[in-house]
Amino acid sequence: MASSSGALRLVEAKGLVKRYPGFSLQDVNLTVDAGEIVGFVGANGAGKSTTIKALLGLIPVDGGSSSLLGVPSEKLAQPCGASVKEQVGVVFDTVSLPEHLRVADVGRMLSHAYDGWDGSLFGKYADEFGLDARKQVKDLSRGMGMKLSLACALSHRAQLLVLDEATAGLDPMAREEVLDILRGFVAEPGRGILMSSHITSDLERIADRIVCIDGGRVLFDLPKDAITDAMGVARCRKSDFERIVSSSLIPNDEFRYLMHDYGIDVLVPDRYAFSRAMPEIPCDRMTIDDYLALVLKGGVR
Amino acid sequence: MKRAYLMEMNVLRGYATSLLATGFLVTVLVGVGMKTAIVAPAVLTSMCFMMGAIGSSVYDDQNGWGSYRLTLPVSKRDVVLSRYAAIATLGLIGSAVGFAASLAVMGLASAVELPGGLSELLAFSGERVAGMAFATAACVLIGSAVASVVTPVYFKFGQTKATQLLPTVTVGLFVVAPMLLGNSGILGGGAFGLVAGLLTFAETPVGLAASMAALLAASLLMLAASAAVSLGLYGRREL
Repeated sequence: MASSSGALRLVEAKGLVKRYPGFSLQDVNLTVDAGEIVGFVGANGAGKSTTIKALLGLIPVDGGSSSLLGVPSEKLAQPCGASVKEQVGVVFDTVSLPEHLRVADVGRMLSHAYDGWDGSLFGKYADEFGLDARKQVKDLSRGMGMKLSLACALSHRAQLLVLDEATAGLDPMAREEVLDILRGFVAEPGRGILMSSHITSDLERIADRIVCIDGGRVLFDLPKDAITDAMGVARCRKSDFERIVSSSLIPNDEFRYLMHDYGIDVLVPDRYAFSRAMPEIPCDRMTIDDYLALVLKGGVR
Repeated sequence: MKRAYLMEMNVLRGYATSLLATGFLVTVLVGVGMKTAIVAPAVLTSMCFMMGAIGSSVYDDQNGWGSYRLTLPVSKRDVVLSRYAAIATLGLIGSAVGFAASLAVMGLASAVELPGGLSELLAFSGERVAGMAFATAACVLIGSAVASVVTPVYFKFGQTKATQLLPTVTVGLFVVAPMLLGNSGILGGGAFGLVAGLLTFAETPVGLAASMAALLAASLLMLAASAAVSLGLYGRREL
């Protein structure tokens, strides 16, 4: 299946609905194409993990449809669709393995699971990550456990990685190392990554697109560069704020602001144009964190 | 299913070793208490079936392994069928180890004069081997019955809830139901006589072969029916 741009579509969710008491996933649309790293962000309980579980076919949905590598998600747990998971590497937010297994046992077990398992590649990642083959899963720290999970996901030549908070618990150096590996992974043709994370600085470094979910609904789906390159945050005083409002530099439907004790932050869709028009008002480069704060908590006109 | 089975056995390897060690200790104690070696395969078989069914289910909820396993190239059907295959494998390993140990003890008792008249009690005889085989087949049935009851409960509810529910289910099925049947008079009529007749028949060579075949066939049927129930329950479960 190909996207409108012609790239191979690896993940597609159309109007996903899943209802739980007190929470619903509503009309979630999401795509990941070959060559893309899509960052999936949102607050705790926003629906990221539920969406990922629905995509992986672990939970039935109440509406909409989704597919992984062209296979409908509901088929993934059935005999007719299971084999496509050869091409998918998954990391959840905890090390999802029986705790008595040793690192070497995990490699042995997964060699039975995947036809494409590469034991020497697993050994290489284990060495790079400093994983002791004799250590049991229960004795690994959270960070080391996540490294083991990543080594598992990367050692069977998958086409798609689905990572749910995979860099949580890693120290900054390990995160950098993992991000390099993920960049290398997606550089090979036909591969892509869906990566949910609260560490938005990681996504700023590697993501091509950011999808934000809040209260079970997709709030925005934007190229990362549209946020971090084009947009800005104007750091205003009250008088500056009133000038911006009256200037109509920012369209009403895009106007977002956050009041602080020390001033007001305003979302600027085009920071270059803004700086030319109002050079006296400082306008910083937008970070994903800033954008999330302005979109999720900011006031509108 | 092969890959799911190999994964399951990989996960259970350490548990199987400790289960056999514990079973062996229990077997020795029972054997010494009863002054016989023929109980070994029966005790080990039933222990491996029952504890295998319970022990193998414990890992599913550990660290979200049950969910993660389904992101690997296996289906829910593979997971269920490989579980039953693993339980049967553990039971058969228990039988094999028990038989080997019993035959070794019998051989030793036949070859060497053991103190305290033990050689007479333990020595090799066709009758003892036949008794051992029949007891083992009966224990395969008992072990299969327990595995057939507990496994669907684990697949439906997961470890925590199943562990809370199973004592009630066990009491209901294995204590209350026989008690009600006993009070109803169904067992009192001809049932005990029928059982006694079957046991007498089992003492003949043809009867032994037929009763063992019947016990094993009944075990297989029970496990197959239980697997069908588990497939339905696990197929609908959200992970």
